[in-house]
Amino acid sequence: MPLLTVHGARIPFQPGLSLRDILDGTDYRVRAGCSGTGACGLCLVRIEQGMVGEPTQVEKLHLDQASLEEGLRLACQVIPSEDLRITIVSGAPLPGWKRPVRSHVKEYGFVDRKDLPAGVEHPLGIAVDLGTTFIGLSLWDFTSGRCVTGRQGVNPQTGHGSDVMTRLLCACESDQKARTLREQAFEAIGEALQDISLREGINPHEIVRMVLVGNTAMLTLLGGTNHELLLKPRYWTIPIDSPVEYLQRWPAQHGIHLSGSVWVVPSLAGFVGSDLLAGVLSTELTEKGNGALLIDFGTNTEMALWDGKSLWVTSAAGGPAFEGSGIGCGMPAEKGAIFRISLDKSRFAFDVVDGAAPLGLCGSGLVDLLAILVRSGWLDETGRFLPTIDPGGFVLSTDHPGIVLTKKDVDTIQRAKAAIATGVRILMAEAGLGRKELKRLYVGGTFGQWLDVANAQEIGLLPDIEATSISLCGNTALAGCEDLLMSPSCVKRLEGIRACAKVVDLSAHVGFQDSFIENLYLRRMRMR
Amino acid sequence: MSVERLKEALLDGDQNRAVLEAKLVRDAGVPSETIVTEAIEKAMEQLGAKCTVEQFNLLEIMLVGRAVTAVMKWLFPEGAPPAAVKGAAVLASLEGDVHDLGKNIVKTVLIAKGIGVIDCGKDCSLHKLIETAEREKAQFICISGLITSIVPQVRRVRELCMSRGLQRIRIVAGGAALKQSTAENLNVDYVAENAFDGARYIAEILEA
Repeated sequence: MPLLTVHGARIPFQPGLSLRDILDGTDYRVRAGCSGTGACGLCLVRIEQGMVGEPTQVEKLHLDQASLEEGLRLACQVIPSEDLRITIVSGAPLPGWKRPVRSHVKEYGFVDRKDLPAGVEHPLGIAVDLGTTFIGLSLWDFTSGRCVTGRQGVNPQTGHGSDVMTRLLCACESDQKARTLREQAFEAIGEALQDISLREGINPHEIVRMVLVGNTAMLTLLGGTNHELLLKPRYWTIPIDSPVEYLQRWPAQHGIHLSGSVWVVPSLAGFVGSDLLAGVLSTELTEKGNGALLIDFGTNTEMALWDGKSLWVTSAAGGPAFEGSGIGCGMPAEKGAIFRISLDKSRFAFDVVDGAAPLGLCGSGLVDLLAILVRSGWLDETGRFLPTIDPGGFVLSTDHPGIVLTKKDVDTIQRAKAAIATGVRILMAEAGLGRKELKRLYVGGTFGQWLDVANAQEIGLLPDIEATSISLCGNTALAGCEDLLMSPSCVKRLEGIRACAKVVDLSAHVGFQDSFIENLYLRRMRMR
Repeated sequence: MSVERLKEALLDGDQNRAVLEAKLVRDAGVPSETIVTEAIEKAMEQLGAKCTVEQFNLLEIMLVGRAVTAVMKWLFPEGAPPAAVKGAAVLASLEGDVHDLGKNIVKTVLIAKGIGVIDCGKDCSLHKLIETAEREKAQFICISGLITSIVPQVRRVRELCMSRGLQRIRIVAGGAALKQSTAENLNVDYVAENAFDGARYIAEILEA
């Protein structure tokens, strides 16, 4: 068999497989955001030695002539037949579960235990937020009403598509694929539980209740059925069942208490998941007066507006730009990400996650940079750089010439922000609320962690309301899931929220295109 | 030259200035048809050339589109006279695809080139698309696709046209989801790199 040499390792391979397929079976995996069709363009490798075929059409789309000449290729498109030496340019994120640091975690005090299985001395519960990109879990103690520990890790389904649509399409390809995706989510949760029990000495048999929330796509993929319905627009605004029939085998397979209960909280409609409902719950959006808006940033940004009678909900497919994805210089808020930027005279100062050497910008860093560039006139409201700026893009610091913001990056951010702002505007219009009637704003999602609200308002990503009326809430979905786990009154409140929810389909709205264009401008959001 | 100034206003995406310049040009005695060929078509050509090297972002393209539409509306309030319209192209985003920004850009570019356009909208069924093409005696079917789930539908368009005896219709596909494929793969006549490339293809066929 021919040999593939990668970073010093020698891997024998079967000719006929793509480089990506070969690497997926090893510890040297490439980054990927699609199922190997070439759509995402993320699986970059450099051919160091050996013969491979000519670049495919798809590769020419993602790579310019200079890159191809340098030997850059997409691993999914290269099918080697003889000995080859390569370097992985973009590796897959390391698997593994981290214990996230969370700022505001509630305490529930006394918890009514009469519904829990008898005979467990120290009953515990698990809340799970099954996100498109990340899975978040937290372990709770029913005796003290406190959070014991938590985990966050990458949803392994990302290998089959980083966005919801690609992943749904993958599941629709065959029953086998759908089963693979289902098992991936199921096993990831199991792994996280195992990690908790091993590292923190928790007996999983004491876990007597599990509650899970997620967007509708993630829930149907977890259930293994009905995902195909989500490809049809008429299902977006109506409820979709995501039965998880094999729930009975969860306790045994995950090693939790055998009479433990598992509740997958149903979604509201095709594009409004139980993660948003949980967010409404945890922010008490409907509890503290009218005119409250929740924007839960994510790959799909979901939002809810409470007008005192109805809860107007929608989802804006803005793409993962604010998670640093799809932007040349973008990256998730991990070690090496610039998360805050300020301009002091003509010098940029920036803060980097973990104080490491900067590798790129995460969402909050991108927002800061755009606001600064517009404020100083280097970038106009239309997204055009000053003619004096290199056509190759804006270099943040000469010490880090690799971190470049291009016009295309700005365009991607403009589109993402326009989708969200259009959602806000249409929800406000549907509810008949004017700008002055918007009293409170809750920003959900990890993106909010370091967000400079004033900068976000300046480029029109958030509506213009008093900074004191804006709360940055972190993971509102997980927090709401915890409410459902620990508090029976919250379970009741959720039913009330469902009953008054009104789903708005942005794409069906007549004013969508005009509002979208208006919101592409990098300027303050205009509202009635 | 004020035709030149009109072209600049169009490329700046300045709707009001463009309409104003168009008025000045026509008041100076330039016929509407010449304004279309000399200012609007030229502006679109320039935009098309720059688009391929990513010098324009979505907002700029939309603004130019808006300005062109405004000038066309002012020049031909009743719609373009039949003599000025060449050919007929049916446009749609197919069932399941509710994104029509891309399709609307194609529409503007085609109109600016003086090509007749029948817009079937977004989330359009194959049935409606073919019916419209037959009824309007279209020479072109243009499909804009942003999501890959519509690929199987695109592949069926040809056979449905054949079954209605519409074998002479040319099928053009474009948009993020389709431009990664080849014409053979999609069973269409042409896969356009962008709106301008598609319009160029159509114009070339009409002139041939």
